[in-house]
Amino acid sequence: MEAVVARGLTYRYQPGGPLVLKDIDFHVSRGEIAAVTGLSGCGKSTLCYCICGAVHHNRDGVMTGQVLLNGKNIRELRAASLALEVGMVFQDPDTQLFSPTVEDEIAFAPENLCLPPAQIRERVEQALDLLGLAALREANPYRLSGGEKHLVALAAVLALDPPVLVLDEVMSQLDQAGKKRVAAALKRLRDMGKAVIAVEHNLEAVSFADRLLVMEKGELLSCGRTAELLADREFMEARGLIYDPPGL
Amino acid sequence: MSFLEIDHVSFTFPRHDKPVLTEIDLHFDQAVITALVGPNGSGKTTLTKLMIGVLRPACGEIRLDGRPLVEYSLGEIGRRVGYVFQNPDLQLFCGTVAEEVGFGLANRGCQRETVEERVAFYLDYFELKDYGGVFPLHLSQGEKQRLAIAAVLANEPLFLVLDEPTVGLDAYRKRLLEDYLKKISRSGRGMVLVSHDTAFVDRVAERVVILENGRVIEDSGRKGKAADEA
Amino acid sequence: MKLDPRTKMVMVLCLSGLALLYNTPGRLLLLLAVTVAMLLIFRFDLGAIGSYLKPFLSLMVFLFVIQCLFAPSGCVLLAVGPVPLVTTGGLLTGAGVVLRIVVVTAAAMLLATFNARDFILGLVQWKVPYELAFMVSIALRFLPVFRDELVNVVTAVQLRGVDLKKVPWGQKITMYSRLLFPVIYGAMLKAQRLAVSMEARGFRVYPRRTYLRRLEFSRADYVVLTVFPAAAIALVIRHINLLAH
Repeated sequence: MEAVVARGLTYRYQPGGPLVLKDIDFHVSRGEIAAVTGLSGCGKSTLCYCICGAVHHNRDGVMTGQVLLNGKNIRELRAASLALEVGMVFQDPDTQLFSPTVEDEIAFAPENLCLPPAQIRERVEQALDLLGLAALREANPYRLSGGEKHLVALAAVLALDPPVLVLDEVMSQLDQAGKKRVAAALKRLRDMGKAVIAVEHNLEAVSFADRLLVMEKGELLSCGRTAELLADREFMEARGLIYDPPGL
Repeated sequence: MSFLEIDHVSFTFPRHDKPVLTEIDLHFDQAVITALVGPNGSGKTTLTKLMIGVLRPACGEIRLDGRPLVEYSLGEIGRRVGYVFQNPDLQLFCGTVAEEVGFGLANRGCQRETVEERVAFYLDYFELKDYGGVFPLHLSQGEKQRLAIAAVLANEPLFLVLDEPTVGLDAYRKRLLEDYLKKISRSGRGMVLVSHDTAFVDRVAERVVILENGRVIEDSGRKGKAADEA
Repeated sequence: MKLDPRTKMVMVLCLSGLALLYNTPGRLLLLLAVTVAMLLIFRFDLGAIGSYLKPFLSLMVFLFVIQCLFAPSGCVLLAVGPVPLVTTGGLLTGAGVVLRIVVVTAAAMLLATFNARDFILGLVQWKVPYELAFMVSIALRFLPVFRDELVNVVTAVQLRGVDLKKVPWGQKITMYSRLLFPVIYGAMLKAQRLAVSMEARGFRVYPRRTYLRRLEFSRADYVVLTVFPAAAIALVIRHINLLAH
């Protein structure tokens, strides 16, 4: 059974409005990292929202087609129980951090899952360790720098330990060390059998992804092997996704 | 004399013991693109906020165009220095995209036709034409970032400070931004940009200043044009 | 000294309750002394009280003057013709009103000596539903955020080259009223996104949740929890008795 399946997925913001997602079909297996790329406004973030159910339960738009998470149709899941199937790191860190300390922020998800305190402690320590945040444990998330906020938001979702992870551009504000730590964390999640979907503009940052989903104007153009797609410079350049400045 | 001069500036947030910035000495000239780089939490954003007078240094002095920054009002600074915040959500406050781009000009008493003309130009250049009547916070992150940049550029400031301008931009839009920034620099205006995007910095910046733990640990000085002339 | 946040909440209730009951400056001063002593024990920076009171300064002066003028009693100190302007009784009532505000504010500062996390834990362990506890704590937490948001907008407006100080009042009001809606709407959008991200991390998956930490009453807590309410009740009874006579 695939971890994520999208079948004939379409989405529009208003009934009768233009399609933001056009007939998207793809699947991501357990133990696989899929990167999603495309020009801004191509529907990447919307696709993320659809997969994690945020669209279905919280937005006014119209979604048709199907999204299955571990075989379960997201329409049939209660909004809160979706968190047991999928974890999502949103693009804007400021609207997803609300706790007084980094440690509390990370403990929030396992506390919601009713884990015993010892297990919560274990998950918090693992997440802090994996993303190199131990020194910021007592810091106020609201006062951190942009990149640090993203790391905390990711750590908070890692502690939820969902089978599917969706990340919307978490690497963009990270320094090299931060990018490496996130990459190492994602590879470890893959080895643990998780399915990871990561939206990213910077293709170097996700070159370790198993597959690359290329989107254009709401359509999914390709979902092949990352290495093969990246090697096809003509295709990528025509999509405006890579660019060689003239005269260099 | 440089356009923006930072002399012996240190900064500590109230009720914190550890200084964010220590003894910063940097001068920025017109017509030079300087990149400010360094690890997360090294004090880059704080330094840019000091440069535009949103924060005041604990000690040391910052001078803009020869005059101490403290003598300017924020509005006067804003007419000279354009600042693009790290998070576009914090600087978009109008009801529509078009209003946002025209806000600075309209409120400084520019002719309506001039404002409309410039708004049209910037919406077109940053490919936001179709969104003129949309509520800014309804845009995608990449579109909001472009809008924030367009709104600041439409003011045609003498100097620019951009905090992570490429976040949320794809390769194609980055190139558009790169071209525009270079054009601004060629027209004699200088800028400082904070970025983790090494590829972008390599292509755009003529000078790279590296910050670590609140100190300048490396300053390449001006490469390229100045070095050629020397 | 470290006390349980619940203990501190009880202390605040006792102190501000008495402050509302008392109306003579002498007793209120005593109450203020006790409150300040408590704040010192919890190593609270007393200077901060000043900054919290500052916005209320004009209100306090206003109340003081009103009380002086409209509650005349005792000896007349200053009169305009037959109308007594300043009386000893009026001064005392005025001072009482101001002191009451100071005591209540200072007592509330005791709450600032523990953080939002302890606040939630305290309430939840007192069987308050956790949704409610989070609602209160998030509201408290986001007050400064919304203040920052407003500061940000005002800063951003000026950085677009508008000199707010030089804008004439008429224009300023039109500008602010035009900005009001986008700013409020933006804040609501952000609140909505916050709710989505809380839910995405499993908030309210189960009717119950567990906590990383647990608050435990120490011996000091039990002492304070006995002494404070007992003393407060005794003082209230005494006050009522005095009034009855």
